[in-house]
Amino acid sequence: MSLALQLVEALSVFLVIFYLYCRSPAFRPLKPDWPQPRGKVRLYLVFSGIAVLGNYLGVPVVEGQAIVNARAVGSILAGLLGGPVLGLLVGATAGVHRVTALSGSAALSGAVATTLEGLMAGVVHLALKRRPERLMTPRVALVTTFVGEVAHMGVVLLLTHPFDQALAVVKAIGPPMIVANPIGAALFMAVLLERQREMDRVAAASSTRALKVAERTLRLLARGIGRESAGELAAIVMAETGVGAVAVTDTERVLGFAGTGSDHHLPGNPISSPYTRQAIAENSVVFADGVRQTYDCTVSPACVLNSVVIAPLQVDGAVVGTVQLFEPRDRRFLNMNRSLGEGLAALLSSQLLIARYQEQKSLLVMSELKLAQAQVNPHFLFNALNTIIAILRRDADRARELLIHLSTFFRKNLKRSSDVSTLEEELAHVGAYLEIEKARFEGRLTVETDVDPALLRIRMPSFTLQPLVENAFKHGLSAVLADGRAIIRAYRADGAALVEIEDNAGTWAEPAENAGLGMQLVDKRVKNLYGESYGLSVTCVPHEMTRVTVRLPAEGAAP
Amino acid sequence: MRALIVDDELHAREELASLLEETGAFAVAGKCGNAVEAIQALRKERPDVLFLDIQMPAISGFELLSMVDDADLPAVVFVTAHDEFAIRAFEASALDYLLKPVAKERLARTVERLQRGPASGGRPGLPRTPIRRIPCLAGRSIKLVDVAEVDLVRSSEAGVYVVLAKGELYTDLTLKVLEERAGLVRCHKQFLVNLDNVDEIDLEEGQAVVRTRSGKEVPVSRRFLPKLRDHFHI
Repeated sequence: MSLALQLVEALSVFLVIFYLYCRSPAFRPLKPDWPQPRGKVRLYLVFSGIAVLGNYLGVPVVEGQAIVNARAVGSILAGLLGGPVLGLLVGATAGVHRVTALSGSAALSGAVATTLEGLMAGVVHLALKRRPERLMTPRVALVTTFVGEVAHMGVVLLLTHPFDQALAVVKAIGPPMIVANPIGAALFMAVLLERQREMDRVAAASSTRALKVAERTLRLLARGIGRESAGELAAIVMAETGVGAVAVTDTERVLGFAGTGSDHHLPGNPISSPYTRQAIAENSVVFADGVRQTYDCTVSPACVLNSVVIAPLQVDGAVVGTVQLFEPRDRRFLNMNRSLGEGLAALLSSQLLIARYQEQKSLLVMSELKLAQAQVNPHFLFNALNTIIAILRRDADRARELLIHLSTFFRKNLKRSSDVSTLEEELAHVGAYLEIEKARFEGRLTVETDVDPALLRIRMPSFTLQPLVENAFKHGLSAVLADGRAIIRAYRADGAALVEIEDNAGTWAEPAENAGLGMQLVDKRVKNLYGESYGLSVTCVPHEMTRVTVRLPAEGAAP
Repeated sequence: MRALIVDDELHAREELASLLEETGAFAVAGKCGNAVEAIQALRKERPDVLFLDIQMPAISGFELLSMVDDADLPAVVFVTAHDEFAIRAFEASALDYLLKPVAKERLARTVERLQRGPASGGRPGLPRTPIRRIPCLAGRSIKLVDVAEVDLVRSSEAGVYVVLAKGELYTDLTLKVLEERAGLVRCHKQFLVNLDNVDEIDLEEGQAVVRTRSGKEVPVSRRFLPKLRDHFHI
C-alpha cells in the first residue's frame, strides 16, 4: 500500500510540473483541428519529458529489478492527444531510456509495454478523433490507462525471465500502477481541459470586446477617418479594451488620442515615434513589449507609457494610418497583446473600406446625376440654338461651324462620369463650349488659352474642366456688367501639373450648402483618382478675379 | 408699336429685332444689353412694349421691373430660353412669355394679344421685389450700391443722386421708386433718408434737420416731419 502512496506522491510532482507548464507562455491551446507537425513535436517533447521523469520518480522494487513507475501516463496522454505515431514514439523514447539508463530484469518488458500503451492510446485517439469533446475527457484517460496498465502487467509476465521473477515483479508493481496511474492520467487530462476552457473564455471575452468596439465604431467610421471621428474612436477603443491609452494617426499626424499622456500626445502633432514610422513603412504590426523593447516617448521625457502595439490601418492595401494601444510602465502587458492590436486594426480597416466603398458609390451616383443634368442643360442648349439661328441670318458658314461645336460638346457630354480623359480631350470639350459662349456673348467675352503642350497627355477624371468653366460663366462673367475675360492655363509647378481657370469677375464666395456641389464633386473625383494631395483650390480677389486651380500629378498616369 | 428689346446677348437682340420688324407691327425703338441701359431707354424712348430677357448680368429682368415706376412701364413680354420662370413672369403681370428660339407663328400671337390688350399700364399693383442694390453710374462704369451704405438720396434738376458716406453717385431710379421699394424715407420733396444711418434730428424752430452718422445734413420739410417723428417714436 505504501508503494501506491509513493507512486501517488510521484504523480503529484508530475501534476505540479504539468500545471506549471500549462500556465507558462509556452502552452499553446490545442486547436480544434488536431495538432499540426510543429505542435506534434512540442507534444512529443513535453510528454517524453513526463514519461522519462516517470522513470526517475519511480520506486525500485524486487531488489532493483523493477520500478513502480508512472511512465505510462506520458505515453498514454501523448497517444490520446497526438495519435498512434506520437504515442508510439513517446513510449519508445521512455522505454529506451528505461533500458539504457536504469537497469533491472524487468526493464525490457517495461519498455515494450509502455510503447504498446502509447500505441493503444493512439488507437483510441483514432477511434474518437471525430468527437474531440468525448476524447478529451478524464474518463477516457482513466479507462485507457487502466486497460494499458493491465496489459503492461501481461507483457511483463510474458517477457520477463524467469517467470518467478516476473510474477514477483507484477505482484509488487501491479496493484499500485493499475490503481494510481489511471487516476493520475485522469487528473492530467482534467488540468489540461481546465486550462483549455480558460483560454476559450479569454478568447470569448476578447471577441466580445472586439465586437463591442465594432458595434460602436461602425457608425463613426462611416464618415471615414478625420479629426473628430479619430478622437471619438480612440476613446471607444480605450473604454472597450481597458488599455492605458489609445492613439489614432493618419500617415503623418496624430489624429486622436485618449488616455494616459493625452496632455502631451496632442491631435495634430506630427508622428515622431520610430515604431509608428516602421509600422507605416512596412505595413506590419509593430510591438514593443516594454521588456525587450520599450516605447520611449519622443514628446515628453516624463511620459509613463512604456509598451505599445502599433497596427496599420489599411484601405485597398495602402496604409492610411495606424491605431496604437499603449500601457504605462506599471501595467505593461496587463490588457494588451499583439493579437488584440492586429484584430482591432483588421476590424477598423474593413470598416474604413466599407466607408470608402459607400462614399465612392454615392459619389458615382451623384456625378451620374450631375452629369445627366449637364447633358441636358436647357438654358445652354436653347440659348445656343437661338444664337445660331440669329447668326444663320447673316453668316451661314459661321452658323454651320457653331452647330459642329454644339454637336462636339454634346457628344463629349455623353461620356460616363467614371471615365478618365486626357487634358487634350478635356480642352476639346471645353473648347467647343467656349466657342458657343463666345458667340452668345459676342463682343463681351475674350478667352485666352495658355497650355504647356507637354501636358496634353496627362489624365484626369472626365468632366473635370467643363463644370469649372461653366461655373466661371454662370457665377462669374455673366454676373458682372463689365466685359468678361477668361484664361485657361496648364503648366508644371513643384512636381505637379496645374490646370487653372481664371475669370475677371471675382464673385466667388464660400459656397453655401448645395451651391458648390459641382466643384466639390470635381475635387472628390480627382482625389479619388490620385489621392489626397491632389484636387481643387480657389483663389479669389473680390471684383478682380477668381482662379480655380486643379492640381494633378505631372505624370498623370492613372492607376 | 414701338418696342424696346433688352437682352444681354448681341445675337439674341439682333434676331428678335429682325423678327419684330418682319411682322410689320413693330418699330424697334432701342436695343439694350443690360438693365441699367434699359432703365434709361424706358424713360427716354417711352416704348409701347418691352421685350425683356430674364437672366441678365447683375440685375435680372424681374429686378429691372421693380426698379421702374409702374407709370413708366409699358406692356412687358418676357423672352427667355427656358420655361422655369413662367409662373413668376405672370405674377409680374407680363402680357406674354416667349421661349427662345422664337418662332414667327408664336410671335404673331403675341402681336394679336398686344393689339387686343391695353397698350400699357392697367396692371394690378402687385407687391414687387424690394430693391437691395441701387444701380448707379460711376464715370463710365455701373456700380451696384447696397441700400445699407446709402445715407440719403437727393433729387435736383441734374437728376437723382445717391449720397454715400464718401461721395455721391448718379442713378436713373426715381425718388418715388426708391421710397416705395428700397425702404428709404421721404423727409423733403427732394430728399430721401436712410433711417438706419441717421445720427440725430435737430428740431430747431423753423427748419428741422436730420444729421447722418457721416455728418451730412438733410432738410426736413414741415409736411414730412410728423411722419419722420413717427418713425423715431418722438
